[in-house]
Amino acid sequence: MTGRSMIELIGIEKRYHSFQALADLNLTLQEGEFFSLLGPSGCGKTTALRIIAGFLEPTAGIVRIAGQDMQGVPANRRPTNMVFQSYAIFPHLNVGDNVGFGLSRSGLSRRQRKARIEEALAMVALEGFEDRHADALSGGQRQRVALARALVMQPKVLLLDEPLSALDKKLRESMQFELRRLQQSVGINFVMVTHDQYEAMTMSDRIGVMFDGRLAQVDTPTQLYAFPANRKVAAFIGGMNFLPAQLVGEPAGRLEVMVAGLGGLDIARNQGVARHDRELVVGLRPEQLHISRDEPAGFDARAQGTVTDAAFYGETVHYHVEIAGVPEPVVVSVPNHFHTVDFKRGDRVWIAAQGASVIDLGARTDN
Amino acid sequence: MSDNNRTGVLLALPATAYVGLLVAAPLGVLVLYSFWTQTYIDIDRSFTWENYRTAFSDPLVRHLLIRSIWMAGLVTFVTVALAYPIAYFVAFRTRNKTFWLLLITIPFWISYLLRVFAWRVILGFNGLINSTLMSAGLIDEPLDFLLYNEFAVIMTLAHAWAPFAILPIYVSLQRIDRSLLEAASDLGAGRVECFLRVTLPLTIPGIIASSLIIFIPTVGDYVTPALVGGSDGKMVANLIQVYFGAANNWPLGATLSLMSMAAVGMVAVAFVVLLRSAGKAIR
Repeated sequence: MTGRSMIELIGIEKRYHSFQALADLNLTLQEGEFFSLLGPSGCGKTTALRIIAGFLEPTAGIVRIAGQDMQGVPANRRPTNMVFQSYAIFPHLNVGDNVGFGLSRSGLSRRQRKARIEEALAMVALEGFEDRHADALSGGQRQRVALARALVMQPKVLLLDEPLSALDKKLRESMQFELRRLQQSVGINFVMVTHDQYEAMTMSDRIGVMFDGRLAQVDTPTQLYAFPANRKVAAFIGGMNFLPAQLVGEPAGRLEVMVAGLGGLDIARNQGVARHDRELVVGLRPEQLHISRDEPAGFDARAQGTVTDAAFYGETVHYHVEIAGVPEPVVVSVPNHFHTVDFKRGDRVWIAAQGASVIDLGARTDN
Repeated sequence: MSDNNRTGVLLALPATAYVGLLVAAPLGVLVLYSFWTQTYIDIDRSFTWENYRTAFSDPLVRHLLIRSIWMAGLVTFVTVALAYPIAYFVAFRTRNKTFWLLLITIPFWISYLLRVFAWRVILGFNGLINSTLMSAGLIDEPLDFLLYNEFAVIMTLAHAWAPFAILPIYVSLQRIDRSLLEAASDLGAGRVECFLRVTLPLTIPGIIASSLIIFIPTVGDYVTPALVGGSDGKMVANLIQVYFGAANNWPLGATLSLMSMAAVGMVAVAFVVLLRSAGKAIR
């Protein structure tokens, strides 16, 4: 990242009659950044992407790409290229002609075009596929062709609309790394739309989380995970237990809280939340909780409870523990070390947490 | 024969009987007749190639056959060229597609014959166009090139076939994944280029379908040429009609029918091959 802004969205709004698809979207993306828009379906993330691409005109607001106002600039004249969710591979053309589609206006000679196509196909590990017909491609190959077709244009920004959602799980995971590597090697901005938190977290430099046409939080994956701005963001990214808490004291940069069931804790103040109040909500990640039969030592807080459910996920085991004073059972996730489910329904167990792993989510009235 | 097979045969029976009785059998009769000879009111059933020899050497037959194919080609071209924009409009620019498709089929609520007569009223010497132009003072005397010529046949048939051309093209346009058009535009193509490089090649199957639907029956059409074609609008079917009717020469009529069938078949195949390769050439 060189610190120059590549995409600026200023006060973007999109209305369809009475439906507000996007409201006051402000976002600045740095040059060379891999940015993801993450949110549930219908949150407006694809609308935002299509506004950047030029397929939609915003009702209000300014789109700048590389410092240039894009108002009135149609999609075919923007320095962006898109990888479509359906990949949109031209069915009447072979791979080479698909990839070379956009080069016909480039003023390149036939040989130069051929070299560019070869280069682009090499980038996505599809060397020698030029003459393959579009119908003869697997899902993963179609996606690579779509990528090559966009990258061959040497855009300033590559837009990706749910690029991995049509692939099976194994392929999706390997493509995540490949996309990341590709972005780093070409060094251009990638803007990806996804509803998959893992996809967004593994690949992106920064993530914008959207709900109901609004940007809820923009942050790096680790910050987003450690300091979600509110309960909604926290619930969307990773698993989370929400516990009511009372604010007792506010030393500099810290909060002293009384957490239901767990007792007094000293936790980090979350600068991202809207407001603090006497009544707070705190979050506990299931994987950051400790569970044992005997009372554990060395933790900042502990509570005894009863297991109401145990679920075996393969790589982890999830226990639901009912604790007196906590409204909902607390979920604890334990890595599967020895292929055993240690506790069963009805067992009395202890759960414990460190203050450092308890997340301040702000005033209860905001959540 | 297993039960399953027997059910299959039983199920196929009505269709087979239908095709056999109404298509294969008449065609067989036609082939037989083409090898026989008409001797006044009787038929000489001895085998002969004479009909084919006559038909091939008759300049009138050749002339009418070529003209029929030429006219049918013109009608097909005009109809498809007019139908494509309509289909495009309905597929891409309208919301209530059912309503528009219904509008397009309205001409079909009237009998074919009435439609042809309507065109006589529109194009005629004292018809709608002429009287309108005259009363508007744009012309001093009626235009006589409107009716009883090739132009009238083409106009009438282009109108009559319109829905047959519009619907297959509409279907093929409707089937185009809209993201393909967005992808083309995203890759720098303007509207015209999008159309020529994506929309048009992807609708070639629709164009082939509607062209064949129009071309094949047009070659054999005789009502329209007879009613609005005048003397130079006549086509091969009119001659065939004469042989089966007034001239009372069924064997020669049958020969002409088979010849025009063969000609249509060849032209149609050539057309499909040509358009397919044209589609491949547009890149």
